[in-house]
Amino acid sequence: MIDKKQKSILLLAVRAGELLMKNGAETYRVEDTIERICKACKVPYVEVFATQTGIFVTIDSGREDSDVFTYVRRISGGNSTDLKKVSEINKFSREFTTSDMSIEEGSRRLEEIHGIKPLSIPLQLAGAAMISAFFCLLFEGGLIDALCAVLIGAISYAISLLLAKHALNYFMKGFICSAIACILSLLVCAPFHGLQYHSMLIGVLMIYVPGGAITLCIRDFLAGHMVSGLAKMAEVFIIAISLATGAGIVLSIWNSLGGVI
Amino acid sequence: MSNLFLEFIFAFLGTFGFAIIFNVPLRQMPVASLVGGLGWVTYHVAVDLGTTVPIACFLGACMVGLTSDIASRIRKEAATIFVIPGVLPLVPGAGTYYTMLAIVEGNLDKAAATGVQTLAMAGSIALGLLVIGTVIQILRSATANIRKKTA
Repeated sequence: MIDKKQKSILLLAVRAGELLMKNGAETYRVEDTIERICKACKVPYVEVFATQTGIFVTIDSGREDSDVFTYVRRISGGNSTDLKKVSEINKFSREFTTSDMSIEEGSRRLEEIHGIKPLSIPLQLAGAAMISAFFCLLFEGGLIDALCAVLIGAISYAISLLLAKHALNYFMKGFICSAIACILSLLVCAPFHGLQYHSMLIGVLMIYVPGGAITLCIRDFLAGHMVSGLAKMAEVFIIAISLATGAGIVLSIWNSLGGVI
Repeated sequence: MSNLFLEFIFAFLGTFGFAIIFNVPLRQMPVASLVGGLGWVTYHVAVDLGTTVPIACFLGACMVGLTSDIASRIRKEAATIFVIPGVLPLVPGAGTYYTMLAIVEGNLDKAAATGVQTLAMAGSIALGLLVIGTVIQILRSATANIRKKTA
């Protein structure tokens, strides 16, 4: 039988791994953290297999008559990128493995990290506005275009936060946000001459570019985690397609209604 | 020159926006933005020197990978915290957009041309990060070996 201590070690390690995976850490880091936590609690044999959608951990106390225990944790729900949590769990695992922190204290700390709130919504909107304005400027937009992009970026990001709250799947989220950004920039530009809605729209769409998935996909392939790498690559392509179709459909409707693109 | 400086500022502040929405720890935000700015400037200088766009992307991604690794050592943080926002200015958002635009306009030749260019850019970003990652791994194991021998 698995004893109580082993079970709580296993639960702690898997919880740390789950939180890392959900907040945008590499697969390598997830597996490494779980293994280190188990090893720090003197579990002699640990084998971890982590993917984007589930973590499998096997432990064995190494005695002749001991049983092998396997724990499977399904990771469901979308994952977001919250690098503060990744950083905090990283620090936690370093501290846990080098000090004699108790397991109860460890799980308390983990739940504390889990409860870290993202930045306030106005700040996030300001971030989105900054992205759209400065990328608009980088892609040949003028100053007035950038000012329009600030507004459009903030509105469309607010809508995406609202959609995320209602747990809409990520394809539809990208599609709707991209379509709304496209409608808004077409409407802003229609009455005026000389405004660059291409630059505006590129700036706003940069907000939704899946930077986390792109980076993690490459790093997973590099570390030999082919399954996770492929899953993230698929995610990147699906998001890219959702953004392109969202803006594309609006542009073709606009075109067929007689607008100029 | 002043143009390049302006581009650096734009890329820096754009990456700062990403650092905000990805909730990068407050103290690391300027560093992550610096990584993004340097990556973009490298890309831009390479284009100005006459390299093709994918090669410039490759060099920019190398810069991002290198500076992130250095930053992760100095700040004792995971390198991903700097790479994720830092690589975003290089991601061919504009290329993807113009490909889509060409498809909407029914100009498939142009769509194919920009599409291939965009894929090449994305591929070379991946390659840049891969090359730097591999070099760092080799260096790490080499220094570990030397330490073991001298110890």
